[in-house]
Amino acid sequence: MRPGIIKAVHNHMKKNKDSYFLTGDLGFSVLEELQKEFPTRVINMGVAEQNMIGVASGLALSGKKVFVYSIVPFVTMRCYEQIRNDICYHNLDVMIIGLGGGLSYGVLSATHFALEDFAIMRPLPHMNIFSPSDEMEAVLGMEALLNRQGPVYVRVGKKSEPTVYEKPFSFTFGKANIYSESKRDNIVIFATGPILSEVVKAIPLLEKQGIMPTVVDVHTVKPIDAKLIERISAGKTLAVSVEEHYRIGGFGSAVAEVLSQVVGSPRLLIIGTDDRFIKELGNHDYLRETFGLSASGLTDQIVKAFKKE
Amino acid sequence: MAIDNKLDAIAHQIRYEIIKMLVPLESHHIGCSLGIVEILTALYFEVMNIDPKNPEDINRDYFILSKGHAGASLYATLALRGFFDKKLLSQYDTNGGLLPEHASRVVSGVELSTGSLGHGLPVGLGLALSAKRDKRPNKVFVLMSDGELDEGSNWEAFLFASQHKLNNVIAIIDKNGLQGFGKTEEVISVEPIKEKLESFGWAVQEADGHDLQSLKKAMTEAQNSQSDKPNIIIAKTIKGRGIPFFEGKFESHYYSISEEKKAELLSSFNKKS
Ligand SMILES: [Mg+2]
Repeated sequence: MRPGIIKAVHNHMKKNKDSYFLTGDLGFSVLEELQKEFPTRVINMGVAEQNMIGVASGLALSGKKVFVYSIVPFVTMRCYEQIRNDICYHNLDVMIIGLGGGLSYGVLSATHFALEDFAIMRPLPHMNIFSPSDEMEAVLGMEALLNRQGPVYVRVGKKSEPTVYEKPFSFTFGKANIYSESKRDNIVIFATGPILSEVVKAIPLLEKQGIMPTVVDVHTVKPIDAKLIERISAGKTLAVSVEEHYRIGGFGSAVAEVLSQVVGSPRLLIIGTDDRFIKELGNHDYLRETFGLSASGLTDQIVKAFKKE
Repeated sequence: MAIDNKLDAIAHQIRYEIIKMLVPLESHHIGCSLGIVEILTALYFEVMNIDPKNPEDINRDYFILSKGHAGASLYATLALRGFFDKKLLSQYDTNGGLLPEHASRVVSGVELSTGSLGHGLPVGLGLALSAKRDKRPNKVFVLMSDGELDEGSNWEAFLFASQHKLNNVIAIIDKNGLQGFGKTEEVISVEPIKEKLESFGWAVQEADGHDLQSLKKAMTEAQNSQSDKPNIIIAKTIKGRGIPFFEGKFESHYYSISEEKKAELLSSFNKKS
C-alpha cells in the first residue's frame, strides 16, 4: 500500500503548493520522484524525529499541510510529546505516515515492530487514525483524508500486502466497511489493517466448523464507528477483534470501550499479540503463524472461544 | 535617551504586573518570569514587527516562549502592549480563569502553547522555513532557558537551522546559570556555549539581558544581518531580577514569599511606578 499512499501524496502536492513532505532520512527507492518534482517542499530532516515533528508543526501553524514520514516507532514514539503538545494540542494539519504496522518488518525484529502505536495515538485529542488493509483501501482513504484537515496517523504496512479489495467501494472516513455479511451469522469479526486478508482466508475455515462470521473492516480506528459496532454486534454469540498489535490498549480495546456501554452485548475476544517482547525471529508470515495470527491460527482461537459460549 | 527611559519605565511596569499577578497567589516561577522582562520589553516595544490590532498578520514577526513556565511575563507584556485588556491578568492561575501558568495560545498574541522544554526552537524553525519558502519577511524569535539546552531536540534543531540557512531565526538564551534543581554549571554544563553554537554554524552574540540598549543592539544586528547563518543571542540574566532577596537564587523558581515581604514588595513597586 506504500506506493498508493505516496502517489496520492504526490498528486496532492502537485495541486497544492502549500504542502510539505518531511522524511526522517528514509525513502530509498520510494521517494526519489517526489523529491525530484518538489525539491523545495520535500525535505530530508535527517535522523532527528523530535525536530521533524516540531518543524512540521511550525509549517502547519503558518497554514501549510504537512506530511511526515518514517518507520512507526521513530515517527510516533521517539517524538511522542511533540505529537501531543505541538501537533495535537494546536490541532494542526499534519499527517503522520508510519511505515511497518504490526510485525511487518519481520526479521528486522522488535525495535522495528509497531505493536503499541494504536494504544499511544488513540487517547490524543484531535488525533485521527487510519489503518488501511490493502492498496485499494489505502488509496480510497487517502482521497478522503486529503480533503480534511487536522492531525492524522496513517498506519502503513510495508509493501505488497495481499489484495483484499478487487474493486473500489464507497469509502467514508470514520465509517467501518462491512466486508462480508453472512445471512445466518452467529459471530462478528472486526479487523483492522492488512491482517484483514488473513481474516478473509479464515472465513471458509470457520464456516466448516459451523461458525458463520460477518466480517467488518474497521479502517478508521479513531474515531471508531461505534454505531455500526453496536448495531452489528447485537444478537451475536461472540464478537471478535483482530489486529497486529498488543492486546493491551489497541484496536480491540477501542471495540471493548464501545461494547462495554451496550446492555446485553456479546463477549469480545480480543486477538492480538501477548504482553511480551517478541524474541522469535522470522519473516512476517512466519511470525503471524507463530503467534496464531495466520488464517488457521485465527480460526483456532475463534473456534475455541465460540465453543465456550 | 528619552526612548530608553520610556523602555525602562515599561520594563518596570511589566515587572510590577508580574509581581501583582504572582505574589498574592504564591505562584511558582516568579524568578523565571522576572528574569526575562527586559528581553520581552525590547522585543515587544522596540524590535518586533507586530500589531496588536492584527495579531494574525501573515507578515508579522513571531515570538515563541520556549521556556513556557515564564508565561506570566509574556502575558503582562502582551497586555501592556495592547493585545488584550490588562484586567484579564487577574485571571492568571485562578480556578475557572483564562491564563494558565504555562504560556497558552488561547491568549491573544501567544503564538505557541509551551510548558515542556525543547519544543519552541523546532516549531520556530518550521515557521521560519515557511516564511523563507514563501519569501515573506517574518523573523522568528525564540526565547529559551539555559537549562533547556539539556534537551536533545534543541541540538537537532541547531543542526537543521544552519543546514537550511534559516537566518530569519533569532534565538535568545536566557542565561541565568540556574535550572530546576541546581546550578547549570553543576548539573549539565553547556559551556563553552558560544563556541559550541558557533561550531554548529550559528551567528552568536552576547548581551546583557537586563540592559535594554545592549539587547536592542544585538537584536537589531541579528535582524539586519546579511549572513546566511541563523542568529542566537546569549543574554546574561539574573533570575528573580527586581526582587533583591530572590536575585540569583534557583529557589525563586519555586519559593513563595512571606506575608510581610509580600506587602513590602507590592508597596515598593507601587511607589516606583
Ligand atoms: Mg536557567
